[in-house]
Amino acid sequence: MKQYIGIIIVVAGIILLFGSLFIIDETEQAVVTQFGKPVGNSITDAGMHFKLPFIQEVIKFDKRLLEWDGEANEIPTKDNKYIFIDTFARWRISDPLRFYKSAKNEYMAQSRLDDIIDGAVRDEISNRVMPEIIRSTDRDMIIRDIETLDETMAPSESQTQYDEHDGARIDIINDILSAVVNNLEKLEMGIEVIDIQLKRINYNKQVREKLFSRMISEQNRIAEKYRAQGQGQKQEIMGLQTQRKKELLSNAYLKSQKIKGDADAEAVQIYAETYGKSEEFFNFIRTLKTYENTIDPTTKLILSTKNPYLKYFDQN
Amino acid sequence: MSQGFEFRPGEINIPKIPVKKIIVFGAILVVVVILISSFYTIRTNENGVVLRFGKYHATTMPGLHFKLPYGIDTVYPVEVAYQFKEEFGFLTIAPGIRSRYENKNYEDESWMLTGDLNIAEVKWIIQYKIIDPVAYLFNVRDVRNTIRAISEATVRLIVGDRSFHEALQSERKSIADLSKIHMQKILDKYKSGISIQLVQLQDVHPPTPVADSFNEVNRAKQEQETAVNEARQAYNKEIYQVQGEAQKMLNEAGGYAIERVNNAKGDVAMFAAVLEEYNKAPQITRDRLYLEMMEKVLSKIPDKVVVDAKLESVLPLLNLDHGGKK
Repeated sequence: MKQYIGIIIVVAGIILLFGSLFIIDETEQAVVTQFGKPVGNSITDAGMHFKLPFIQEVIKFDKRLLEWDGEANEIPTKDNKYIFIDTFARWRISDPLRFYKSAKNEYMAQSRLDDIIDGAVRDEISNRVMPEIIRSTDRDMIIRDIETLDETMAPSESQTQYDEHDGARIDIINDILSAVVNNLEKLEMGIEVIDIQLKRINYNKQVREKLFSRMISEQNRIAEKYRAQGQGQKQEIMGLQTQRKKELLSNAYLKSQKIKGDADAEAVQIYAETYGKSEEFFNFIRTLKTYENTIDPTTKLILSTKNPYLKYFDQN
Repeated sequence: MSQGFEFRPGEINIPKIPVKKIIVFGAILVVVVILISSFYTIRTNENGVVLRFGKYHATTMPGLHFKLPYGIDTVYPVEVAYQFKEEFGFLTIAPGIRSRYENKNYEDESWMLTGDLNIAEVKWIIQYKIIDPVAYLFNVRDVRNTIRAISEATVRLIVGDRSFHEALQSERKSIADLSKIHMQKILDKYKSGISIQLVQLQDVHPPTPVADSFNEVNRAKQEQETAVNEARQAYNKEIYQVQGEAQKMLNEAGGYAIERVNNAKGDVAMFAAVLEEYNKAPQITRDRLYLEMMEKVLSKIPDKVVVDAKLESVLPLLNLDHGGKK
């Protein structure tokens, strides 16, 4: 029997050892409970730890940053726009003992976070106007491309809205975070929220449809403007065409008349110079030439014998 | 049967078990198994994070390593050299030289409000690396979804501070750059061990329901250009022709001028020549010219009447002529 007793002792020792040893991973932290009641401090160090076997139980929690992803909530803004806000948060169990007492498990904690974060988001958003929520700085935006920026276009509805408010998106995020952190501190749940971000901000369906039809009509207006400009430029070029044509032809006429006139003047001068040398002879020759040119076969000519040409007729 | 059970030792022939051999063989087997489970390999693009009794012990580099067996040491390989990629607003179905993408039903992810309260469709990718495997493993649960959520929040934040036109055109690059910086700030706050390598905007479009009206604007721009080009073409065509006409007019005037002057010169040259003759013998030349003219003129006229200057009237002659013809 003695040899068996030895074996039994060794086996019992091993069982006791394994019952009192436990390992906490780097991603874990734990609380030790005795008959359901927590005993001692939280265990946050990774490594091997001891407890009383059988009567003490280890409850492990995650030590890492944990996800929280809320549902998108429809919230009216201060300027009465209904928008969907989709937030996410990252949190951790900062005090496992308190967490175990108040929240018990992650599932419960998530639902508590739903209430706290949704409330904080709602409070903040309903106190802000759209441009503050969407924008994060007061930088000047170029609303359109330069081409379409001219005073003939009436400013659109959206253009008037942003100048009044500076963007405050980052402030809003920080406000929500500090509101949530304050609430959680008061509640002493052992939960610490590290970060909250606004993931998506969207118009609801009706507003979105309206926005789309506004965008479409704005684009159509721009398109019409381009078409009208095209026609206008075409007319302008056609006008220039007529102008240029008349300019070219009239200039040419002016020049050619001058050339002709100069030539006529020169000719007159040439004639005058030479004919002036013997005016009497010129008249004689020119008159003879005139006779030649004006008298033709249809002419009926009655010649008197007094005519010098016929002077020899009268001799007898 | 009444005899009952009779115990007779030595009757059952138990074969001799080679206990010692079994123990030795078993021991050898155990040692081999322990040895085999004590080695592990870390591949070239990985680092191994070793936990001893759950506590961080060491980080091992690629190669063959030894660890303590049976749950004493646990090894997590982490792909530190790998570029992880996440897509937003689309999904690559089949990557390759000509990748195929799934674009439908991603409006929730890709539609976002711009600073001038319009909606733009933005698609983007990010690439990231695990630069601190220990932090990556132990600080954040579900790192991938965390990165995705941060990326969405960040790009929306940055686009929300840009106008629609800026998001489509001039600010594309700065949206990506600022997003990268902002994302990294959040991930550092989480001590995630992640380094964002790249944020790149893919397509930035007007959303599908309004895309057609934006195309219409482009078409209108084209039409404008076409109208202007046509007008310019017509202008050039006519003006070149008119320039020719104008030149023709000038050339004709030039011809007229030359002709006019030359004619004048010719005329006066002839006159000068005749005058010279005339000066030599004025009366004779005069008579000759006169007679030559008369000859020429009178020879052309078939109907000539010579009237004696002593007659008082030409009437009888006219009558005679009339009567004679009767």
